[in-house]
Amino acid sequence: MISIENLSVNYKSDSDVYTAISGINLTIPEGGTLAVIGPSGCGKSTLLKAIAGLIPEYEGTIKINGDEVNPKKQTIGFMPQNYGLLPWRTVIDNIRLGMKIKRAPELLDRKVLKKLMRQLGIEGLGHRYPTELSGGQQQRVALARVFALQPDVLLMDEPFSALDAITREEMQDIFLKLWQKNNVSTIFVTHYVEEALYLGQRIAILSASSGNINRIVDNPLFGGKDIRQNPEFFEMSLKLKNSIKKDWNQAWEN
Amino acid sequence: MGKLVSLWYLLAAVVLTLVWFVVSQLVDLPIIPSPVLVVENLADIFMKYIAIHSLYSLWRIGAGLLLAVAVGLPLGVIMGYFPQTDRFLAPVVYLTYPIPKIALLPILMLLFGVGELSKVFMIFLIIVFQVVVAVRDGIRAIPNETYYPLYSLGASFKDIFFEVLWPASLPKFITAIRVALATAISVLFFTETFGTQYGMGYFIMDAWLRVNYLEMYSGIVVLSLLGLILFTTIDLIERNACHWQYK
Repeated sequence: MISIENLSVNYKSDSDVYTAISGINLTIPEGGTLAVIGPSGCGKSTLLKAIAGLIPEYEGTIKINGDEVNPKKQTIGFMPQNYGLLPWRTVIDNIRLGMKIKRAPELLDRKVLKKLMRQLGIEGLGHRYPTELSGGQQQRVALARVFALQPDVLLMDEPFSALDAITREEMQDIFLKLWQKNNVSTIFVTHYVEEALYLGQRIAILSASSGNINRIVDNPLFGGKDIRQNPEFFEMSLKLKNSIKKDWNQAWEN
Repeated sequence: MGKLVSLWYLLAAVVLTLVWFVVSQLVDLPIIPSPVLVVENLADIFMKYIAIHSLYSLWRIGAGLLLAVAVGLPLGVIMGYFPQTDRFLAPVVYLTYPIPKIALLPILMLLFGVGELSKVFMIFLIIVFQVVVAVRDGIRAIPNETYYPLYSLGASFKDIFFEVLWPASLPKFITAIRVALATAISVLFFTETFGTQYGMGYFIMDAWLRVNYLEMYSGIVVLSLLGLILFTTIDLIERNACHWQYK
């Protein structure tokens, strides 16, 4: 369970204070997923970084399972936009990295890791380096790295945006399968409405200018079978897109 | 290193020796002796006279290098990782970096004497700036995304150093040493022409003053081989320590 109350983040430069996000209220139930969607520069990444404990100075509260967010105490899996794999470590060492930092050797069960890698289709790549892999394969390694940790919360920044459309859909399916098995509370940022609809139980739409949440939509289609083929999926994504466009256009005009 | 690479080294040595041979035959003066005579002479005197000189030169380079790494690496890491410190230290580095270090030799000699210390310190000064700047730039080039997953797991500075900073700056750091080493060897040669009875610089200049051209050339060949050994060692270290770059 993640609960965010009245969260604001200001960036200070030498002469200026700039508000990235303000007055954010969100709750994600245990094992739920939330999609955050918004135009670039609206503070999506800032929100994610704050929850990841990467921003030390913020106003309001961020609680994970009842405790204030603290990277040392909780296990926070963060998957950045370009996967954040270390080019000088092999695939298997990249996956193990989190446990090494968490000093959690009990998670270093070879069988579990092997099974995870098999589920992700990367079991033969353990000794390769990230630069030898395709974008899709790197994405799988990044997923293995966060899921292997069994995190309290999983945060993903534009997780599948660098992939081509077909690989992206494949990765979304793989993610959903893993998520269902592991039941990890997940927040992810995206600019694809379809991705938000496919992976998000709830969808938070950020407003274009003020850095707060415009509204939160419950996603009735989430978890259904083959919903991408469903006419309702098209209808809903179109509706969502249009309403977002309207919001954002209004913001630009003001 | 592969067989093929060694073969290229051999070929280069053969070609250079051939050019030398042809020139020596054309000029036909004692100042350019035939390589055959030089090699014969080298075989005769290497163990007797030259080995001790080359060891002295190697020790000075090694000590200067170690000192430069011990100072330059932490400084480069601090400047690259903490931008605030770079703001203060960068002007200091940039003001002192362009000074030809050999111009500081009189000062070093007055401070540290004409013996070992000033020679080692000279090499240190030549290498340390390159190391600082290379390590700093290597660390600056790391994208923030590389740190985020580690920070969000509560990584300590030690974790960050060994998982990210050290491996990211290692190739840059090795390249810096490779570049600086050539300058260091030529300056070492110069500093070995005074205040010592040992070192390749002393040996070559001494042979020249005694008008013993065969010995002088033997010394030059040894100096070249010394450089070759140093550079191939660095290459080997790089291949082992930065294997991800060779994939």
